[in-house]
Amino acid sequence: MDAYDEGSTARHGPDAPSTPTPPAGHEAPVDPSGPVEPFGTDGQRLPYPPREPRTGIAALSLRYQVGVALALAVVAIGVCVHLGMTFLHVAPANTVTRAHGKAVDDWIYPEFEQNWKLFAPNPLQQNISIQVRAGVRGPDGMTLTTGWYDLSAEDGRAIDGNLLPSHTQQNELRRAWDFFVATHDGENRPMGLRGALSEAYLRRIMVLRLTDDDAVRAATGGAGVIERVQVRSRTSNVPPPPWSREKVSTTPSYRELPWWKVARDEAEGGVR
Amino acid sequence: MNRFSLAVSGGIARVTEAALGPYQTAVVRIGFSATWLLFLLRELPHRHELYGPDGPWSWDLAQQLIGDNGSFTVLMWSDGRVWFEIVYALAVLSSALLMLGWRTRTMSVLFMAGVLSLQNRSVFMGDGGDNVLHLMSIYLVFTRCAQVWSLDARRALRDRAARARGERVTDRTGPLLWGVLGFVLVAVTLAGRMQGDWLIPVLLWTVWVVLGLWWLVGRRARTGEPRVLLDVVANIVHNGALLVIMAEACLIYATAGWYKVQGSRWQDGTAVYYPLHLEYFSPWPGLADLLSASGTMVMLVTYGTVLVQVAFPFTLFNRRVKNVLLAVMITEHAVIAVVLGLPFFSLAMIAADAVFLPTGFLRRLGGRAVRARERLRRRGGRARLPGQRTSESPEATHVGFGA
Repeated sequence: MDAYDEGSTARHGPDAPSTPTPPAGHEAPVDPSGPVEPFGTDGQRLPYPPREPRTGIAALSLRYQVGVALALAVVAIGVCVHLGMTFLHVAPANTVTRAHGKAVDDWIYPEFEQNWKLFAPNPLQQNISIQVRAGVRGPDGMTLTTGWYDLSAEDGRAIDGNLLPSHTQQNELRRAWDFFVATHDGENRPMGLRGALSEAYLRRIMVLRLTDDDAVRAATGGAGVIERVQVRSRTSNVPPPPWSREKVSTTPSYRELPWWKVARDEAEGGVR
Repeated sequence: MNRFSLAVSGGIARVTEAALGPYQTAVVRIGFSATWLLFLLRELPHRHELYGPDGPWSWDLAQQLIGDNGSFTVLMWSDGRVWFEIVYALAVLSSALLMLGWRTRTMSVLFMAGVLSLQNRSVFMGDGGDNVLHLMSIYLVFTRCAQVWSLDARRALRDRAARARGERVTDRTGPLLWGVLGFVLVAVTLAGRMQGDWLIPVLLWTVWVVLGLWWLVGRRARTGEPRVLLDVVANIVHNGALLVIMAEACLIYATAGWYKVQGSRWQDGTAVYYPLHLEYFSPWPGLADLLSASGTMVMLVTYGTVLVQVAFPFTLFNRRVKNVLLAVMITEHAVIAVVLGLPFFSLAMIAADAVFLPTGFLRRLGGRAVRARERLRRRGGRARLPGQRTSESPEATHVGFGA
């Protein structure tokens, strides 16, 4: 690539001679521990061997030249295939991926998966708040149902004025909900293994957040045990910008999931 | 035809005789390891919730998902808390050492193992920043990213000077490190823990074998040829990986840009307004309101973002335009870091952008850093540390400050 090439030619320019004289305008002494370029001139950039005279591949015997050629071919093919596969992976579905989607997936997953549709094609225009309420059994054996807690609002408050938001505040709940929605149908029925996993995950997050929540502990006298939880999402449109003449409804819509039982060990500190 | 073959042989000479972009790969190495290090330190209080065996994404849940997708994570080797703490600590340590460039190749492998282990353990905790880091941690393993700005470079310099004086230089740390890691690798493989996808285990084994071979050839080979061959192969691999890193950065921008072009909000010029008003991406509501006060400004920024992202890969053919766009993109990421509350995502993206920074700029930056440190040292009135020789290699101490 050109941008890069010019950079490297520039490097060979002014600083090529490694004479003992310090370059003009530089204050001596120079600390050897600093960012020095260890291998001054072009030919000596080999970190190993230390004192080899300049040797190109031309100086190698035929056997070794074949080795170099082989390495060159393998790397060239590897780079081309990898870039091609990555391109097909991030590109929209097309003729090639329809025919060879399996090969692309085999190459990409699990470690080269990527998604760069950052705020694209459209940025999210809705605030999706995850809310939860719990059925709690108090020490006296009475069961009570708490009010709804808006966990996303808690996250939002934790992020406010925060230069370094934690992934636990910014990603955990948000992505757990995305995961849940992606693996459940409209009737909230799980689809496959991932559906089941996402349910368990969401439930555990709820228990963790409820046990951490001071308000919940206050409501249950601190000794309550969570027996069941219910989750709902509240989706409200971001009001359009003031200069726009667009009108969108600002009435939120809810998606309420069924009550989930919380296993005893999970409620009693299985989640930390 | 003759010109074509000349160009080909010239190209072959370039990619075989040197590991290109020593400053660029060094800055990418420092950038990504620093991002991960800062992230790990920031999440220290939340580490159990994010990746621990008893976190909401529990060890059992992770086990089921990883059994399905086969991704690499050493955290699945045991569900013990102690093991988790060890892995987290090693991840911190390896990123710090990679940043400093100590035993860089080995550290890059450990760094990769740390990144993959934690991220694959809890895939639903990450965002785009984690994704970039994930990929780059793998690509970095293939590069010679410690040619400059590293403890390894300094050591190589000293060794060379010592050899020039006719001293024998023996390295004990390297073989020791290699032996320990080899032991772990053998034990883990025999215990059958290297399940799942074959890619990362094969990579670990390959690097380990090659490092051993490297040492052996450096020691035993009677002629220089095997060494030259290894060196040339390392250059080729490095240059291939460098190309992949640059292409990956281009793919990120191209994808982000071209998908945006299709979005109605990016077309009507209001897109930037919306993320600023999402609960999860608005740490400074006042600032967001200020930024979105003018519809024209929002539209300019919206169009500008798409324009820059779509255009960037093509500007690589013109150095000056490329540098202008690079500055714009780095600035935009710095703004995103604060305004959308995405510091680690932004840092990772800036580290990826850095691969395109011009060499002259990077050298000036390095020189300035050294001078700043010198000034600090003098002001602090501290004496030179005994470990630092000034008389040892006069030629070496002054190399590389041309810019």
